[in-house]
Amino acid sequence: MTDKQQMIEELKTIIKPYIQNEEAFNNLHEDTDFINDLKINSANLVDVILDIEDKYDIEMDNESMDKMLNVKAALEVINEKVAKK
Amino acid sequence: MVGNDIIDLNETRISTNWERPGFMKKVFTPTEQAIIHASADPFMAVWQLWSMKESAYKVFMQAGGKRFYNPKKFACQLVDSTNGEVRIGDLILKTTTLFHADYLFTSAVANHSKAQSHIFQLKENNQSFQSNFMHQQVIKDFTKRNTLQSDQLTIQKDTNGVPFLQDKNGRVNTSLSITHHGNYGAYSLIVN
Repeated sequence: MTDKQQMIEELKTIIKPYIQNEEAFNNLHEDTDFINDLKINSANLVDVILDIEDKYDIEMDNESMDKMLNVKAALEVINEKVAKK
Repeated sequence: MVGNDIIDLNETRISTNWERPGFMKKVFTPTEQAIIHASADPFMAVWQLWSMKESAYKVFMQAGGKRFYNPKKFACQLVDSTNGEVRIGDLILKTTTLFHADYLFTSAVANHSKAQSHIFQLKENNQSFQSNFMHQQVIKDFTKRNTLQSDQLTIQKDTNGVPFLQDKNGRVNTSLSITHHGNYGAYSLIVN
């Protein structure tokens, strides 16, 4: 497994409790949108963000929050914050 | 422009733990946190403010805003227990919240627009069922009010994901917002 594949698997574990579209979750790819595709309710996206912060021991600033709409953006934010640690 | 948001209180009690460490700070400005702490019912205050932000976000998207996720950027103030104001960028929006034992509902408008809202109890807690049901209701009511033929009306979404009504002549000149959550749904239309 590449690093990216592994990160996607970790992200899937984090978001699984909040998804409302099983099919989109099973076909998850980088362009999968948290709200439009996975139908995660917007309040639960806060949970996703807090779970990511806990898991990677990072803190998302305002700018990072803005981007948290899809898998690709989440991976970018995580990578960027982990690299700065 | 109009935006709305309905929150099924029982559903939100189950699905979101707002008392989770970090939640308040991620979502609410210091002013909003003070409102919540001072409230006799912090749970209701949290979801009232949340629905204000959510309905304001829909107006922001109608105004051509670029999609982003950051609830804290929608700065809320309460005028009284039901009326409020939300600021986002250059937009200043007026909100009204309706409280019911099982849900709360907020609509947000720009300027002096007047919105008319209708709330429905939904039978099935299923995304696509609820979305379809709400679309049918909007078309039915709008058709009746304007003595149109319902087969002429459809609901479309623009590139920003904003719903609008379309008839045989194209886009109908009114603003529309649709929301559903748990066992409740609502739509709002600009009437003036």
